Amino acid sequence: MIGSGIKRGTAELAILSVLEEGPLHGYEMARRIEAQTKGALRFTLAALYPMLYRMEQRGWIRGSWETSSNGRRRRCYRLTPAGKKKLSPLRKEWAELFGALKRLTKVAHG
Amino acid sequence: MVDWQKLVRQRLSNLALEGAEKDEVHAELAAHLEESYEAFCREGLPEKEAVHRTFEQVADWRDLQRRIFIAKRSGHPMQKRVHQLWIPGFLTMALSIVFLVTLQKLKIKARMVSWRDSDIFFFAPWLVSLPFLGALGAYISSRAGGSRGTALLASIFPALALTLTFLLMFPIDMIIEPIIGRQVDFSIVATVLLRDGIGWILVPGAALLSGGSLVHLWLSQRSRSQNPAIS
Repeated sequence: MIGSGIKRGTAELAILSVLEEGPLHGYEMARRIEAQTKGALRFTLAALYPMLYRMEQRGWIRGSWETSSNGRRRRCYRLTPAGKKKLSPLRKEWAELFGALKRLTKVAHG
Repeated sequence: MVDWQKLVRQRLSNLALEGAEKDEVHAELAAHLEESYEAFCREGLPEKEAVHRTFEQVADWRDLQRRIFIAKRSGHPMQKRVHQLWIPGFLTMALSIVFLVTLQKLKIKARMVSWRDSDIFFFAPWLVSLPFLGALGAYISSRAGGSRGTALLASIFPALALTLTFLLMFPIDMIIEPIIGRQVDFSIVATVLLRDGIGWILVPGAALLSGGSLVHLWLSQRSRSQNPAIS
């Protein structure tokens, strides 16, 4: 499992990335992230919603009430243009960080 | 069967947000818990275990309440103010001025109403347009997350700006006129202030406010009908 500090840092990237595929409500978002990261990133309700609300306030995502196929009302989130703009440099930052860590650990073990 | 709506409302009862915003948070979190519970049931867990696993998602409700409040209020206050008040307000004002100038260019005459030996000017087509412009201001403000007060302020923004102009113009005029050697007749100033205040501020302000109030009412009702938790 990945440590909680790193998880916090990657949470925004994870949310923006899954929303890039299309609008999702909170529960579906948490399930999708867990499935795509093979359980390495797991969002409980208590972790997810404060994060979503903060990202909404920053204007990266926008929530709106929609009716799902089973007739239930759910608040769906979608990426805003500002969120799309944020995603690319965020991806680059994390790729650089993980690349650097990978090189470091290879050197340490090599 | 657990009533998730009721449970979330109880656990987050002290969430310090405005009514509709608070109800939306309650409804959203309850929907999430309900869906988690149903997923656990589908996995074959007994009801009691499914409820227990669902509850495990929130270890500390008071902490969650605090973090939701901080997150909801985390937007830069100045940026929020710009999107919720200044942009819709200035847009409403710009459109109302453009429309008024267009009417004047088209040589559409203002209607004069006599009142206490004064003539008050009313541009009927312009006044008719104002509820729509007030509605637009309130709609843009509400879409940006503006509260009822902010949305209504955005809708009557042109009238407020004109009030401020009047309040500044008359004292300045009363200082300048004696300097350039003209006599100031206070009764004339008061009459002009009252006449123009009615024609250019009170009546247009009421028209703008009527449109803004209607749109806000419509948005509130739509939000309630879309969100079953809002009663």
